[in-house]
Amino acid sequence: MNTNKFDKILYMIKILVISDQKEKCDFFNTIFNKNTYEISCLSDEMLIYDLVNADTPDVIIIDTQINYLKNLNKKIKNLCPNTIIIFLNSASKIDKDLIKYANAFFTDGMSEDFIISTINVNLRMKNSLEMLSNSNKDLADSLYRLNALYSTSSQFSGTLDKAKLIQYMIEGMDRALSFSLTCTLSFCTEEEPVLILNSLYELSDELIEALKLRAVLNYNSLFEGKKLPAEINSDTLKVIKQIKYPASRFTFSLFRFDNMFAPVSLGDNFFGCVEIFKESAFSPDDATCFQTIAQQVALPLKSATLYQEIIEANAKLAKLERLKSEFISIVSHELRTPLTSIKNSLDILMSGRCGEITESADKFLSMAMRNVQRLSGIINDLLDLSKIEAGKMDFNFAPTNINTVIDYVKNALSEVAKSKGLTITIDQQKSLPDITADAQRLEQVLTNLVSNAIKFTPENKTITISSKLVNSKDIHINNSFKDYIKLDEGDYVLVCVKDEGIGIAEKDLLHAFDKFAQIENSLSRKAGGTGLGLPIAKQLLEAHHGAIWCDSELNKGSEFYFAIPTAKIEQLV
Amino acid sequence: MKKILIVDDEQDIVESLKFVLEAADFTCYCAYNGEDGLRLAKEIMPDLIILDVMMPKINGYKISRLLKYDAKYKNIPILMVTARSQEEDKLIGEETGADEYITKPFELDDVVKKVEQYLK
Repeated sequence: MNTNKFDKILYMIKILVISDQKEKCDFFNTIFNKNTYEISCLSDEMLIYDLVNADTPDVIIIDTQINYLKNLNKKIKNLCPNTIIIFLNSASKIDKDLIKYANAFFTDGMSEDFIISTINVNLRMKNSLEMLSNSNKDLADSLYRLNALYSTSSQFSGTLDKAKLIQYMIEGMDRALSFSLTCTLSFCTEEEPVLILNSLYELSDELIEALKLRAVLNYNSLFEGKKLPAEINSDTLKVIKQIKYPASRFTFSLFRFDNMFAPVSLGDNFFGCVEIFKESAFSPDDATCFQTIAQQVALPLKSATLYQEIIEANAKLAKLERLKSEFISIVSHELRTPLTSIKNSLDILMSGRCGEITESADKFLSMAMRNVQRLSGIINDLLDLSKIEAGKMDFNFAPTNINTVIDYVKNALSEVAKSKGLTITIDQQKSLPDITADAQRLEQVLTNLVSNAIKFTPENKTITISSKLVNSKDIHINNSFKDYIKLDEGDYVLVCVKDEGIGIAEKDLLHAFDKFAQIENSLSRKAGGTGLGLPIAKQLLEAHHGAIWCDSELNKGSEFYFAIPTAKIEQLV
Repeated sequence: MKKILIVDDEQDIVESLKFVLEAADFTCYCAYNGEDGLRLAKEIMPDLIILDVMMPKINGYKISRLLKYDAKYKNIPILMVTARSQEEDKLIGEETGADEYITKPFELDDVVKKVEQYLK
């Protein structure tokens, strides 16, 4: 901060006149012995230096006739470079050597007004220069601080590691404020609270104890009357020292230092607090800067806390998902063994090898066998799904003709269809290109779709399986699915299973592919489904880079479509 | 009559297999753990072994490996039966030299057909 000397009435302008001629001294004495001037007249060289050293004058008037002039000029310029030097020149010609030291020249016979105005003009000029230089210095300081703040901010935004953020805050304060010691109580550096002492010099044990006590007191006063986020104890508080110059040691008392203190918190989240010490006083700018850094670090610390929570929650979810898959896998395996025994016993009984079976016994044995097969199907579905979800399903991709798959499924299921009074017809496009697929898995998908169609279609109706080659832009996907299915550009083999069954309401279409979908729960139970067939089909097709969807109208029937790209799998990956 | 050794810790399964195989004119020997199974295999020199994988004492993989690496027994066909169906398990089964891999639940008639196929 700069003060204009002319603003202060009480400030005396100090003038030194150097001359060994009494009349000259008297002349200046009469001029300056009034107003706000304080004049001294000296001629002894040594005394002059003493005075200049002890109480630097604002103006020095030097008589050029003094015999030690040359030496004096140099010395005075060294001792007080900012003082205004005016030469009193009796000769009309000015010595060139003097020009480099001079702010102005007086000659004999000059008026009092001229002398005073010359001095005032010079003083004003000097004052303005000083102000300018001070402003420049302030500006440079601000710029440096701004730079430090900027680089600290970018460090803050570059990490989600809480311990690093606290460290960046300390380093940022180190850059922006010149201090002797920062004392940071951090709840983010390690699992336990720690006290980080960032110091210029080595700290004595007594000083560390005092700082620990101070941190605990500061911390407790922050939460006065409130519940503390964590208990801390000065005896057990862990200390981390970061010493810049370990060879030196603080010898003086902490209480002679100026200090500032700030909590590092955002809303209800408390991350720590920081206290900073300096031998000289902190300026208001220092305080603003300190507060800014302490506040700035709180937001990334909060983000880091949330990020950590998300990571932990995700890990927990992933673990649960894995446990679920493992559980399903183990349970399914364990179920298969007793199921095998039941099935084998039924097989033997039904084969008549243990004696003849009456008609009603056969009815109940068949019922038991049907349910064994159903249970077996459920276990297989569960195992498939857990394998797919765990990414453990292996596919034997090979060139496959979809029409072969369709023929196989039709042959396998036409008996079942016939027993329900249904007809399966086929509408295949001849000479379809091969697709890269696992034929067995496609059979599984198609069997599921056709079985569903058989289950949900009343007597005397027809189920149609069709296949054709289409380009992705000619594939129409209805509104229920179009946001969820994105087919890459290219050719696809499109298969459709069309039935004249009960249909699905539009609002339920998408849910048909959810795990354990409960559309018309009672009906699906009557028809004997697990609710896993379609989700499995969806996952299997996605593994083929294909998609499955359906069009349906209640009481009219459904059309289930699936599309598989004709490009090779490795070309798609 | 051809001799079949059935090794499985599930007595009910052994029982049903024994029933259908005996009905198909095979002589059956049964073991309910891996150790007994291995001992019996060396004692009676069966014409075929039906072997479960998960068993106490010695598991089916180990028995298969021990027999298939022994010149004396390596020609005995082994039908491996298991409730496991993971692809990697299938691979281990093949590495141990088992001739056939059957997953529970299975059709008894299929097993009989396979046995007859190997012993033709």
